[in-house]
Amino acid sequence: MWSDPNMRKYMIGWALFGVALLLLPQFATTGTLRIFIFANFIAIFAMSWDILSGRTGYISFGHPFLIGIAAYTSAMLTYHLETPLYLSIPLGIIATMVGGTLFFLPALRIRGTYFALVTLAFMELMYQLTQVLRPDITGGTRGLSGLPTLLTGALPNYYLSSAVMFVIAICLWLLVRSRLGTALSAISMDEDAVKSSGLDTTKLKLFAFMVSAFVAGVGGTLYVHYLGSIAPRAIFDINFLFTILIAALLGGASTIIGPIMGAFFLTFLLEYLRPIIPGTERYFIYGSIALIVYVLEPKGLHHIIQRIYGALTKRSEA
Amino acid sequence: MKITKLIASAFAVSAVMLASAFMHTAKAADEIVVGFIGSFASDTGKSTLRGAEIAIEELNAKGGVLGGKKIKLVTADTREDVTEGIKAYEYLAETAKADFIISGSIDDVSLGWLPRMVEYKIPTLDTWTSYIGIIDKVVKEYDKYKMYFMNVASDEALATLYIDFGKDVLSKQMGWKSVVILQEDTAFGGAINGLVKDVLAPEAGIEVLDTIVYDVNTVDFAPIFSKAESLKPDFIYTISSVKGQVVASQYVKLQVPLAMTGVNVGTMGHEYWDDTGGAGGGVSSLSPLPSVGFALDDTSKAFVETYKAKYGSSRPVFPHFNGFNAYHGLKQAMAAAEKAGGFKPLDAWVKAMENEDVIIKKDGKMWLRYGFWKPGEIEPRTKREYTHNIKFDITPPFDDGAPSMVVIQWYEDGSSAVVYPPKYATGKFTVPSWVKK
Repeated sequence: MWSDPNMRKYMIGWALFGVALLLLPQFATTGTLRIFIFANFIAIFAMSWDILSGRTGYISFGHPFLIGIAAYTSAMLTYHLETPLYLSIPLGIIATMVGGTLFFLPALRIRGTYFALVTLAFMELMYQLTQVLRPDITGGTRGLSGLPTLLTGALPNYYLSSAVMFVIAICLWLLVRSRLGTALSAISMDEDAVKSSGLDTTKLKLFAFMVSAFVAGVGGTLYVHYLGSIAPRAIFDINFLFTILIAALLGGASTIIGPIMGAFFLTFLLEYLRPIIPGTERYFIYGSIALIVYVLEPKGLHHIIQRIYGALTKRSEA
Repeated sequence: MKITKLIASAFAVSAVMLASAFMHTAKAADEIVVGFIGSFASDTGKSTLRGAEIAIEELNAKGGVLGGKKIKLVTADTREDVTEGIKAYEYLAETAKADFIISGSIDDVSLGWLPRMVEYKIPTLDTWTSYIGIIDKVVKEYDKYKMYFMNVASDEALATLYIDFGKDVLSKQMGWKSVVILQEDTAFGGAINGLVKDVLAPEAGIEVLDTIVYDVNTVDFAPIFSKAESLKPDFIYTISSVKGQVVASQYVKLQVPLAMTGVNVGTMGHEYWDDTGGAGGGVSSLSPLPSVGFALDDTSKAFVETYKAKYGSSRPVFPHFNGFNAYHGLKQAMAAAEKAGGFKPLDAWVKAMENEDVIIKKDGKMWLRYGFWKPGEIEPRTKREYTHNIKFDITPPFDDGAPSMVVIQWYEDGSSAVVYPPKYATGKFTVPSWVKK
């Protein structure tokens, strides 16, 4: 693997990215670090979506459902039972993997638009359930506030979220470059052909789903114990879903690095516009820019960077 | 090639944007930064913002605060979104370096940014949410939440006084003995329904015949009103926090032959009449004060005049109750800072703010009071603490503070009045002309 010059180039790229993340607090304000923390979490969620939907082509509109199970489980355990975080976080992740499997897996039997709609229904179902089913436990519409946080302050939270995002990114990137990753990609191209070649697509999809749920669970639990509060409208929300989807698609689906780029680009764009256009109009600008970039390059920011890099290296060779 | 260039340019612009995001937002030494957090798109959010703007203009015109420092307002929109609220608070704290934050946030948004307030320890005043759960946090964990103040009466205090309305007016005056509840399908609806069924109705001797729960997106209320009518109640009790104008205007258009009262947030603004297209008469609702139809004292009148002159026909044309709260609350926060020598140390400012007490009189009588319940202070009727909640009074004759709520009614000619409690009444509680008395 290391003898492959392309692979070496990528590894150097990842190493540089890691060093940049490490050194960034030397140059950035705490306000900027806060934006990076949100970007890191969106990147984790977008990668989680990418490994299932970007790879296999099964477009999930219910990812907040997975994130929410983990976040709510850990939140309720810590809020009501004072469960320590080192227990509530793993339990939240397990709850997402089990709960997600119970709901999502049967849905993987259907394809295309139907799968997307069923997963969207799961998110809506969870939104309603958290409000009406035992609101004394879930906090109902208002949610739960004053949850324990893992760390306090911009800098420690920046390092934690960056480290988690970076480790997940490396692991998923290695996974998609493996034979398993290739098989998952093949499902998105022609599932029947994969089946007829002797591969068990159900097992492959289950694997992709479990990885996706695990990453969503890790992100969801850490996210809620970073925010210190949770509410149905903050998680089971169409805007939250679109943020994840747009980050993945704008960055470049099925690439792992693309969703990270998308998450950073979108989060910074929106926050940068805040002092210039403090009102709702900034969402119009934000949406327009995202749309223009996507229309100009449907393969995403990842592809744009590759093209620019290609053009630059060609020029230097010439 | 052209596209590549265009995209490369876009990236260059993004890079510049990103680079500038790294720069510190300089805060001048001779200024005090006030952060506003709330929704720019809602009438209530705008009311808080405008109340704060007017207070700041007046203070700056008088030479500023804390030895001549000018007050600068920095705003952060929440879009009534919980996560946006957290980001907005972070922005105000870390980038704008706010000394004091004034909020026009709704319940879950305030609960969302509350942990950030605790982390940054920035004095914060909420003017819109009335959620008792936040006040309970201040009561139970005073040291952690002491920087938080809420100058609208908490929902529990609102409810306590509202039960009196049920007994005095609905039961005794009108002689009504049965009700059907129309409840929107939200947690707010469920909570108020519980209160009506478990407390108001039993105490007032009113039988709840049924509860009809409807979706907040309902556009046709005809079948719902038909069902309510078929149960033959004496009146309808509606609970609506979302799109209350729809249920109210259909009630009028369908000429439902039953009186309708309750809690309808849509009726609380002066735009209600226009929002219902003139079909909103006869409906009554609980409201925080100063409400629509409220008799204003001279101080409040002067504020309203300034407001109207400044904002003209821009909606909301008349400040909601939280606009008044923001105006007085911001001035109190600055007065407390003057007494404490600034917003830091926090304990000094908190103590000074706890002692802030503005009593506004009308015709020589206590009319409005902007003060706060102190730690350990017990409200005599409910026998509980309301630390840092506005100093309300829920026992007539309301000599120790303004009541926690009033009941307002819109009449068929488009006018509105306060109909309860009697001390604040500017009109009479009545049933619409098409309803048999």
